[in-house]
Amino acid sequence: MSSLPGIPRIALTWLLVAQVLVIVPHLVHLPLWMIALWLGAAGWRVQIFRMRARYPNGWAKGGLVLLVLAGILLSRGTLVGLDAASVLLIATFTLKLLEMRTRRDALVLIFLGFFCVVTAYLFEDGILAALYSLLPVTALLTALVGLQHSGFAERPWPPLRLAGGLVLQAVPLMLLLFVFFPRMGPLWSLPLPNDKGVTGLSDSMEPADIAELSRSSALAFRASFESEVPPRGQLYWRALTLERFDGRRWSQSGYADVPVAPQWSKAGAPLDYNIIMQPSGKRWLYALDVGEMAQDSGRMMNDFRWQRLRPVDRPLLYQVRSWPEAVRQAQAEPPGIRQALQLPQQGDPRSRAWAAELKAQYPQSDALVAAVLQHFNREPYVYTLRPQPLGSDSVDDFLFNTRRGFCAHYAGAMTFVLRAAGIPARVVAGYQGGELNPSGNYIQVRQFDAHAWVEYWQPGQGWRSVDPTFQVAPERIEQGLEEALTEEDGFLDDQPFSPLRYRELAWLNQLRMSWENLNYGWQRWVLGYQGEQQLKLLQNWFGSFDWQRLALVLVGTGALLIGLLALCLLKPWQQRPDPQRQAFRKYERLLARHDVRREAGEGARSFALRAAQQLPEQAAQIETFARCFEQQRYAGGPASRDALRKALSDLRSALPWRLSR
Amino acid sequence: MRAALKPLWRRWLAKRIPPAASVRLNQRRIFILPSRVGAVFAVALLLMLLVGINYQNSLAYGLTFLLVSVFVVTILHTYRNLAGLVLKAGGGGAVFVGEHARFRVRLESPERERQAVALGWPPSDLVVRDVPRQGQTEVDLSQPAVRRGWLRPERLRVESRFPLGLLVAWSWVDLDQAVLVYPRPLEGELPLSAGLGDEEEEGMRARGQGADDFQGLREYQPGDSKRRLDWKAYSRGQGLLVKDFAMLSGRDLWLDFDSLGGDSEQRLSLLCHWVLQFTERQQAFGLQLPGQVIAPDYGEGHRDACLRALALFGARA
Amino acid sequence: MRTKLDTCLDSVNQVLLGKEAQVRLALTCLLARGHLLIEDLPGMGKTTLSHALARVLGLSFQRIQFTSDLLPGDILGTSVFDKDSGQFVFHPGPIFAELVLADEINRATPKSQSALLEAMEEGQVTIEGATRPLPEPFFVIATQNPVSSGGTFALPESQLDRFLMRLSLGYPAQAAERALLLGDARRDLLPRMESILDHAELARLQAQVPKVRASDALIDYVLRLVEATRSQPQFAWGLSPRASLALLAAARAWALLAERDYVIPEDVQAVLPSVVGHRLRERADPTGHGGGSLVQWLLREVPAL
Repeated sequence: MSSLPGIPRIALTWLLVAQVLVIVPHLVHLPLWMIALWLGAAGWRVQIFRMRARYPNGWAKGGLVLLVLAGILLSRGTLVGLDAASVLLIATFTLKLLEMRTRRDALVLIFLGFFCVVTAYLFEDGILAALYSLLPVTALLTALVGLQHSGFAERPWPPLRLAGGLVLQAVPLMLLLFVFFPRMGPLWSLPLPNDKGVTGLSDSMEPADIAELSRSSALAFRASFESEVPPRGQLYWRALTLERFDGRRWSQSGYADVPVAPQWSKAGAPLDYNIIMQPSGKRWLYALDVGEMAQDSGRMMNDFRWQRLRPVDRPLLYQVRSWPEAVRQAQAEPPGIRQALQLPQQGDPRSRAWAAELKAQYPQSDALVAAVLQHFNREPYVYTLRPQPLGSDSVDDFLFNTRRGFCAHYAGAMTFVLRAAGIPARVVAGYQGGELNPSGNYIQVRQFDAHAWVEYWQPGQGWRSVDPTFQVAPERIEQGLEEALTEEDGFLDDQPFSPLRYRELAWLNQLRMSWENLNYGWQRWVLGYQGEQQLKLLQNWFGSFDWQRLALVLVGTGALLIGLLALCLLKPWQQRPDPQRQAFRKYERLLARHDVRREAGEGARSFALRAAQQLPEQAAQIETFARCFEQQRYAGGPASRDALRKALSDLRSALPWRLSR
Repeated sequence: MRAALKPLWRRWLAKRIPPAASVRLNQRRIFILPSRVGAVFAVALLLMLLVGINYQNSLAYGLTFLLVSVFVVTILHTYRNLAGLVLKAGGGGAVFVGEHARFRVRLESPERERQAVALGWPPSDLVVRDVPRQGQTEVDLSQPAVRRGWLRPERLRVESRFPLGLLVAWSWVDLDQAVLVYPRPLEGELPLSAGLGDEEEEGMRARGQGADDFQGLREYQPGDSKRRLDWKAYSRGQGLLVKDFAMLSGRDLWLDFDSLGGDSEQRLSLLCHWVLQFTERQQAFGLQLPGQVIAPDYGEGHRDACLRALALFGARA
Repeated sequence: MRTKLDTCLDSVNQVLLGKEAQVRLALTCLLARGHLLIEDLPGMGKTTLSHALARVLGLSFQRIQFTSDLLPGDILGTSVFDKDSGQFVFHPGPIFAELVLADEINRATPKSQSALLEAMEEGQVTIEGATRPLPEPFFVIATQNPVSSGGTFALPESQLDRFLMRLSLGYPAQAAERALLLGDARRDLLPRMESILDHAELARLQAQVPKVRASDALIDYVLRLVEATRSQPQFAWGLSPRASLALLAAARAWALLAERDYVIPEDVQAVLPSVVGHRLRERADPTGHGGGSLVQWLLREVPAL
């Protein structure tokens, strides 16, 4: 039946509408010629419908397919991988339109459409994208309704109303499934869209890299604290350490990749918080020092950074407990400490000389560090995102000539000087600060919060963190990058429309904060609702928890929801016989067993008279029931089921027992 | 296997949905399962779920669950489209072998509007109709009349795939309909046997309408043969008049089964042809079948009685 | 009050023997403010019934014998020039009575018939421009002879609809006829009958009829009956809304006569033949007479509960 030829006009219209809606979110990553392809295909199909054009023949179809494949190869360079595959899917979705002769073809198109919607989620999974996707889904369902052989489907709006109704009615059940359906790990690994995780820290740092990052307002992660949020100045989010210096660039040392947790001891009060991390494409996680996480979130590496086995390629939620006052590697000679003293063989002679001078002046490490910080504080250093280019001896040039730079410059220079003075030190890269969302009690850390600072090691005391940038531009630490850059308009000046630029507008800021809040919830409760998160929630709800119980709850609640919906849809009370009638039916059945059957056209009173004649011994009971029924049904007497029941049971006990006749 | 189960299935159905001229579909009588499209849809959903699992994408999960829920909700809608529908048997006229017997079925919807309700006898195509809210629709179904006698169709399939075509709800109803099938008229020579037994040439008396003798003119009444209109009188402005012929009795025509050759079906077909011919000519005739005699008469009632006898000849003792 | 109704019935039944059911229906019809059509052979007691009803209810009575030369003026009245006063004086016709017996109505021309029927419908007559109200109560009993159809003008369907009920008295049972033969001449009894109700009491009873309770379940039954006539193939046409109103009104009056203040399906069934019989035709026989078998079908097949 579904293969009958011909697709109704309304269904075709809705299919075209649905196609547009399905394709729109893909436009961001689709090559432009796909739009032309769709327009061409849609135009052609409409002309076919108007009998002005014919279906493409085999050659034309083959040619189109080759053309599309060539186009994908040209614009994507490959035919494999998610990106190319999604283009291919959309192209198929588009070209199938031309081939659509029968209802069955239309069904294929509709199912393809659902797939395209799912694919779009892999590229964009924001709250708006999710809400938007309801439109194409409804349109596709509308087209499906329009394919039915009904006069109903010949009008444009009723199918839409019906499809919308179906979607709305499906929502409660969908939520139930979403919460309770068990999540499992990926069955096999799949390629991810490659335009993700472009901005962010990398495992090597040239000063300019962080300047680059500071232009991006993209979200890096959100952290929500269970207790009060610590002051900004203490929020140093460690990502990784950079221990190797080649004279120009700081990078990760091989030793930092040893997955052996260094020795440390807890001290002071811990901080508990959750982090929802945006995909970074890298394996490391962010935490305040010194973080502790569950075993399956990641492992602590040798440099106190936390790392996962696989790169973070989708939003990730993890829980951290941090001990800010912990003592780290206080033992005599921790393994790998020599790496923290590595310097290039030559270069930057003035800095080395200054270090030697300092070393002579301050034999104590702490004093030396304090002196360097003092130096940054006292000398006319300038915090800027647009430093002058540095010469070949970059540290010398920075320390003694330009004296203009930002965190990476200061951290790099200080580490260099400390190492030259014989103090083990390294650059820590991460983020500093973040924006507090007061209503949500969480902090949003953006790419422009990227930061670099220094930590140095002393025997017996372990690693200590210091921030030279704080000496130069304390407002960067206490208030954020924007404050630090008030004189120069370098803050997001290439993003004139970023709402972050207009924080001084209170209402706009309010709006932005609420929106961020919503997004945070979305990230945390919807996108991040995977295995562990689900288990935790369900454990919270049900205390102890097993899958059997879960299945029971799922089935039970599902049945309840469907039952409620069925009640609303079928309105059984509208056709349910009223109690009087039910009682009368029982009365009839009872008398029928004694061979007195009511004719269709016989009223209660005449039937009772006849029955009383046939069963004279029970005449009184028969008449009592009939009178009671008549009173309730016709005389407007109070409707009392009990009175009828009693009359009936009196009659039943008066009659000899008989099962059937 | 299938063939062995069929009688069992029929008996079960007859118990569950007893034959009646009016059947109201309810939960005891409606069956519902995913259609082939629904199965494909399920496969598509499975693939979408796999995307959700492998990419750990909550939204892909969400859409999959939404569509699963739509599927579940559609069960209710598809069921609702049939539930409460009343099917009533309408009359169907008798037909000749070789024609299509028509069965009229009336669909009544006491409550809501119903879309795309399909009726018919698979494997032939089903007829699809909408039923308006608190209204009714009549559907004419046809089945080829292959053999003479009563044509009782199989149970009628009522189905609905509305709204999405993913599920099919159906029922098999027996509206207790039957159409009488007359033998196929067969042209041929007829050895006439006039009268039964002894034949006395008594005075002939004019007896009703016939084709024998002109009796006069009378006013036209609806139903009179157009061939007998007196057009001349009409052109003179005397109104529509009909030439009235009388048939003479005593020369009654008898159609006799035994006097014919050929097998019995051929004989019945021939008789059928002549029954129609004589009625057309408004000639009285009698019909003689083994074990049954219909006295000479004329008119449509007589024709129907004769045809009925021919149709049911040998069917029941 | 209601026992007075019983007395009325008894009183009429003494005059018209063996016709209790018909007498009851006729009184029902009157209580429901409807008009009555009696279809019967001559000599069955139509006049006696009308006259007796008029007597016991204390109504003024007039009889109009319909003939083919009867003119509307003969029914409604005419203005005659009065020489003494020099003015036209209206002489009211026989219709200005509270109970009018229109005997053999089908003998008159359609023009005269419609003069009567319009008066029945509107409760007033308009003669020479002046509108004159008919008395209150106003009740018409028309009779029709079903057999001799030569030279008659049968009432068309639209006119039949104006009669609430159609009754047929029929032959009396043997016992009743024996009593009839043995007893006094019935007509002689008539002048001796006394009126039992006065106008006010009758008006009160009539006003009580619409107050008789018809429950939803009962209305559903009436609807089922009406719907059956509209949807079943054997009916040439279905009952009009006026007919369903008439049915309910008659059933209420019947219930009142039975001393009940609510209607039960049996009331509807009791009045059904006389209320809808003349409004139905079989499809197979659209010109035929009456829908007696159809009414029986309705009584038998339409679910009463």
